[in-house]
Amino acid sequence: LALYRNRILSEIPNNEKEALDHLNVCQKVVVDRTSLLMARAKYQYQLGQYSDAKETVLLLFQRGMIENYKLHSMYMCAILELEYQTLEEAMKLPGTRTLPTLVPLTDEQKQKILEAYKTEIYPDYGKSSAANRIPMNLVDGDRLRSTLDIFIRKGLVKGVPSLCLELSTFLLVEKDGKYVIATDPVDVKEHVAYKLILELVHGYLSSLESNNKLLPEDEFEEPPSTQLWTWYLLAGLHELAGEYSEGIALLDKCIDHTPTAVDVYELKARLLKSAGDIKTAVEVIDAGRDLDRQDRYINNQTTKYMLEAGMESEALNRISLFTKHEGNPEVNLFDMQCSWYELGLAACYANKKEWGKALKKYSAVVKHFDDFHEDQFDFHSYCVRKVTLRAYTDVLKFEDNLWGEDYYFTAAEGTIRVYLHLHDNPAITKEEEEPDYSKMTAAERKKAKAIARKKRAQAEKQAEKKKSEAKDSENGGQKNPPKKGDKVSPVEQDPDGTELLKKEPLEEAKKYSAILSKHCPTRLGTWVLQYDVSIRRKKPLLALQALLKMRGLDPTSAQYITRLVDFATKAPSFDATGAVKTVVTEETASLLGGKPVSDYVVDLGKQARQDPKTSLPLRAAIAEILVKTKSEEPGTAASIIVDGGIDGRGVDIESCREALTILKAFGKEASPSAEKWIATVNERFPLVKNFS
Amino acid sequence: MGRELPVEFGRITQDNVEQLRKVNLACFPVQYQETYYKDVVEKHDEGLCKFAYWNGFVVGAACARVEDIPPEQQDKTSGDDTTTSSPQKRIYIMTLGVLAAYRGRQIGTQLIQSIFDHYEANKENAEFKDVVEISLHVQISNDDAIKFYTTRFGFAQGEKVENY
Repeated sequence: LALYRNRILSEIPNNEKEALDHLNVCQKVVVDRTSLLMARAKYQYQLGQYSDAKETVLLLFQRGMIENYKLHSMYMCAILELEYQTLEEAMKLPGTRTLPTLVPLTDEQKQKILEAYKTEIYPDYGKSSAANRIPMNLVDGDRLRSTLDIFIRKGLVKGVPSLCLELSTFLLVEKDGKYVIATDPVDVKEHVAYKLILELVHGYLSSLESNNKLLPEDEFEEPPSTQLWTWYLLAGLHELAGEYSEGIALLDKCIDHTPTAVDVYELKARLLKSAGDIKTAVEVIDAGRDLDRQDRYINNQTTKYMLEAGMESEALNRISLFTKHEGNPEVNLFDMQCSWYELGLAACYANKKEWGKALKKYSAVVKHFDDFHEDQFDFHSYCVRKVTLRAYTDVLKFEDNLWGEDYYFTAAEGTIRVYLHLHDNPAITKEEEEPDYSKMTAAERKKAKAIARKKRAQAEKQAEKKKSEAKDSENGGQKNPPKKGDKVSPVEQDPDGTELLKKEPLEEAKKYSAILSKHCPTRLGTWVLQYDVSIRRKKPLLALQALLKMRGLDPTSAQYITRLVDFATKAPSFDATGAVKTVVTEETASLLGGKPVSDYVVDLGKQARQDPKTSLPLRAAIAEILVKTKSEEPGTAASIIVDGGIDGRGVDIESCREALTILKAFGKEASPSAEKWIATVNERFPLVKNFS
Repeated sequence: MGRELPVEFGRITQDNVEQLRKVNLACFPVQYQETYYKDVVEKHDEGLCKFAYWNGFVVGAACARVEDIPPEQQDKTSGDDTTTSSPQKRIYIMTLGVLAAYRGRQIGTQLIQSIFDHYEANKENAEFKDVVEISLHVQISNDDAIKFYTTRFGFAQGEKVENY
């Protein structure tokens, strides 16, 4: 309670001094000394008392918090006396990342920190893994090489499956003054640290092969497992560089060596998936799962892959191995609020064009979030009674931003996409309607009515059958049928989502889009969705707002550019008057840089042709808009995609498929280009299936 | 030859029996029937059927069972009154396999030794009290295996069995 009071004091703006003093007053009653010390360090830092903050952090280290990476960030910030905002950002870094991986530091700063570690940390905490790992981000050149060498060899002998992931955090590239981890194979392959690591690992491999030691000067030979882990690490490095076939070849060696190693199957399946062969990936990961049927993690991964491959009934089989259910396992998954499964299943249904079922699953996830929101009321009375007030306010803060969570975004996005598709293709929901009898002859009419009658009878019979089956499985699995009256679980009602299909698509889409725009404003996807919904609802201002937001987040995004051109081409035909019309015209002109649409597009085309590293999605988008605005012939436009080759950024199976769809839509003139593209992609990704 | 790799032992269950299949497939030219695996799993006897673990992986396995010695093979010169005593039994080692990459590290030795130790610790129990011998079959051409059992553990070579 005392710490709660303290926290409130600290939340008053500019009240840090009082909060700090209060800590000293209340420290006798506070049991959670760690939190007290952390709060004290924070206030001291905010007040600019850097050396005091540093001393408090050292006290925390003494209490055993030496492995806390966030504290190390605070330690470093205090030494360098950086501003509080930097500290806040550093404290949000995940995993083993600390201050040096957030912002570039000068050599002088790095030296200062290294000195501090040498004098204050190492004497007492020489064996701490954090204390040894963190300074690796502060050195480069030969020192980096030697520390990496020790680090990697230690990991290989011990057998650390996440070694490659850890090493990938060294591949930092600068973007807008901050560091981000390189993910695109183009960036990875060019990176100094990557080349260094690759060199070291190749060295180990050749040394192992000649005399079974990691370094020629080693005293003892390595056990066979080291060879396995070295191959595994190298396969992981190939994965970072997008070299899937090479990685898979290494993993096959691993499987020959130790066929009982589940980790190897998992990585191989992941590489196969990235290389475009999801079906084989499913086989591989299922084989790995079979080795250890008690491992829930690999079971979940198998389920995920099966859903992606469109094998939803097998996926249900696998996940059911771990659910405690009577009757329908999906009911248990719903009760357990297993969102990842429901989202994967919804995406599976959407791919198979089973719109109702997809909507049903997305709505299940939305329902979970509504439940999360409702739970706040339960927490209130409980937390006040138990006086866990700090935890309670944390929950409330979380709930404030509940609809900004990733799973909710995915569910809402999925729902909106389905409804927009239904809006664009009204024929889908109109299948059940009676055909137009007035236009048929008498004989045709009789035939059509007979067909319709049969269809209806069949549908009813099926519905009856399903209902009785569901009832049987429910009653059969339970020893005592529920006494709470006939409470049919929400999953059972309307399992095919037909009710959801009957709703007005644009209304529903608008509903979700509004929530996302309010709570997820930092995601590009939110504004893409807002644009798509608003343009169909004929609301030019909302669409324009979406475009402006998109430009603020990422002006080079392919999604932004296509929608901008779409808006500009549709602008003259908007039913707009007065102020609205003026705003639309002016803003559109400014977004296009003052050029008419066709010039804007042609300029983009020129830029793309000049820079071979332009990302593939962007090239595909530019080609598409060139043809749409009739600024270039399809045959010429196609060359942007095909001649650019496949070595640029943003190249993966998905973007290649999209580019192919665009090429095909260009028609006959572009078919030689399409053929060439197919050949190029098949050469780059030899394992891809169904790419033609 | 490398240094000894000290392994840990683990039981074979329904959930990990697939790993036994992998070891057998990698080590032996014959494929064992489903009944073999079913028996191993159902017996639940960690003392006689076990995996050898190194660095978290299964690298080898040994499966043995207690079986009656058929009358024609029983040792009648043991001095016991064979008409009233219970039938003689033996521990029969069905399979012993270590993955190729891990051979030469005394893993096979550790597996067999552990079965011996298990017997020694439990030889008074009902399960083992009638056991008079421990035996197995080996391919005639497999000199390494013959040497392994005779020199390391003092097995005696018995007579050849035709058409095993």
